[in-house]
Amino acid sequence: MSGRIRQLSALLQSRKISAAELTDRYISRIERINPVLNAYVSNTFDEAKKNAEFADKLIAEGRATPLTGIPMALKDNICSDGHLTTCCSKILQGFRPYYDAAVWEKLRAQGAVLLGKTNMDEFAMGSASETSVYGAPKNPVDITRVTGGSSGGSAAAVKADIAAYALGSDTGGSVRQPASFCGTVGFKPTYGAVSRYGLIAYASSLDQIGPLASSVEDAALVYDAIRGKDVRDQTSVSTPRGATELETDVKVLKIGVPEEFFSEGVSDEVKTAIEAAICLFERAGAKVKRVKIPAFKVALPVYYIISCAEASSNLGRYDGIRYGYRAREFSYIDEMIVKTRTEGFGKEVKRRIMLGTYVLSSGYFDAYYKKACLLRGRIISEFDEIFKSCDVLLTPTAPTTAFALGDKSADSVTTYLSDICTVPASIAGLPAVSLPCALGKGGLPIGLQIIANRFADGLALACANFFEREAGVNAELCREVQL
Amino acid sequence: MTDTEKITEKQLKTLSRLARLSFTDEEMGAFGAGFKEMIDFCDGINAEIEGDASSIREVGSREIVLGELREDEVAPSLPNEKILSNVHGERGYFAVKRVVK
Repeated sequence: MSGRIRQLSALLQSRKISAAELTDRYISRIERINPVLNAYVSNTFDEAKKNAEFADKLIAEGRATPLTGIPMALKDNICSDGHLTTCCSKILQGFRPYYDAAVWEKLRAQGAVLLGKTNMDEFAMGSASETSVYGAPKNPVDITRVTGGSSGGSAAAVKADIAAYALGSDTGGSVRQPASFCGTVGFKPTYGAVSRYGLIAYASSLDQIGPLASSVEDAALVYDAIRGKDVRDQTSVSTPRGATELETDVKVLKIGVPEEFFSEGVSDEVKTAIEAAICLFERAGAKVKRVKIPAFKVALPVYYIISCAEASSNLGRYDGIRYGYRAREFSYIDEMIVKTRTEGFGKEVKRRIMLGTYVLSSGYFDAYYKKACLLRGRIISEFDEIFKSCDVLLTPTAPTTAFALGDKSADSVTTYLSDICTVPASIAGLPAVSLPCALGKGGLPIGLQIIANRFADGLALACANFFEREAGVNAELCREVQL
Repeated sequence: MTDTEKITEKQLKTLSRLARLSFTDEEMGAFGAGFKEMIDFCDGINAEIEGDASSIREVGSREIVLGELREDEVAPSLPNEKILSNVHGERGYFAVKRVVK
């Protein structure tokens, strides 16, 4: 189905509506709907109006792209010059970056319209967006449920159409899992495919920026606009093929179904929905093969050890001196730093900094961090082996549909389990897309995850595009949400 | 309280010092319980994995490509006043409490 970006772009380019008018419409929607959803934590309406003016100029001069004049949102950990960017943490309260992230620089140059910053788990540490200092966003499909996380605000904003699309960041599933919970498309590109310059770091060997959108085609358009090598991010690379071609011959497709992704903890309705999706590919002529990833069982602890170790180092920079919050009462500088950090970070962030410090400390480094790096190598090798005989893997995105707000917030370890299906692709740096494939009990969306080999981003998106078109569920799942 | 729990409490104090965080005794009690659960969770990396592991290499040991380094060119940096716009700037410097007398 043609996505929201194409539809709006057609209206803009045929001059049925101007970018300025479209922006005003989105602003009124935000003013009406956001108080219910808490998807945005700050708005950039002045910037949006300037962006819209620029977009109208590009259209008038015949220099528009499909993203020109399209209103969108950035997760609250992606910097834009002069606009509040707080990672939904008290420690970055009032922080206004003095430069644009590479992704926003690229989109702004194409005439994208920035509406605001979206809610997230504090420093992207969580799976329900409930650790946000601004309170959790609500799922537009059912406002008593979580949006997923950590890019929960981005997923909610796209679902409720208070942003035509949004960018999120994915460290262990933070784009894909909220996409699954809210019934949108979420894409995590290959590690390095998109520059992280201006993305506030959580775990640098895993962090990747990706789009959340109302259709696969939209996600691919945004991905194509933001990808590419950037000298300011040493890990970024030029990807060999974009996602402009969204077609693939399913008849020659070899699909792997890793059985561990269907193990205990994955609900029956999710298993049934994913099996039905696999059958659809099989009926279209694809060869389906059951495969094994034995190291799957250590993926979650490996992920938490590595990500917390990197976070404990990355978050060392918050000392109250150069930006953000600073404690008020202290008598010497060390006390200022400790007080600033103690008062500025939330519980989950402190927990992860402490865990990271523990696994990196003398006496535990070999038993935890070094071992986790070795096992990471094993997980990568197992995926490499599978991709010798498979083109893509089909799995659930999350083991369940969206759970109730407040349900799991007290218990970190239970919440960690909701990342079980997304973490393996993150550890191996693989591209993976989540798209709605069915509705479970209570009309809650279920996400299908399609994982491809490194740099086969275009193939993952092409398979998702095929499924979206053939299954026809997206039209139903992307219906206007009444709020 | 068992020995392990005692060690954990002592370790927690050391860790919080390293992490530049502080906890009151009361907070430490509640935090300690959750923290122990996290360590147990991380101990999951010791699970037996079936299959051949002989070809496994540590991730960090992969060949590093050095051909991708940028040119060492001088480029304009951000203006001083912009950097100091966020917090505590005084006369063009970051301001902190006096460290030495």
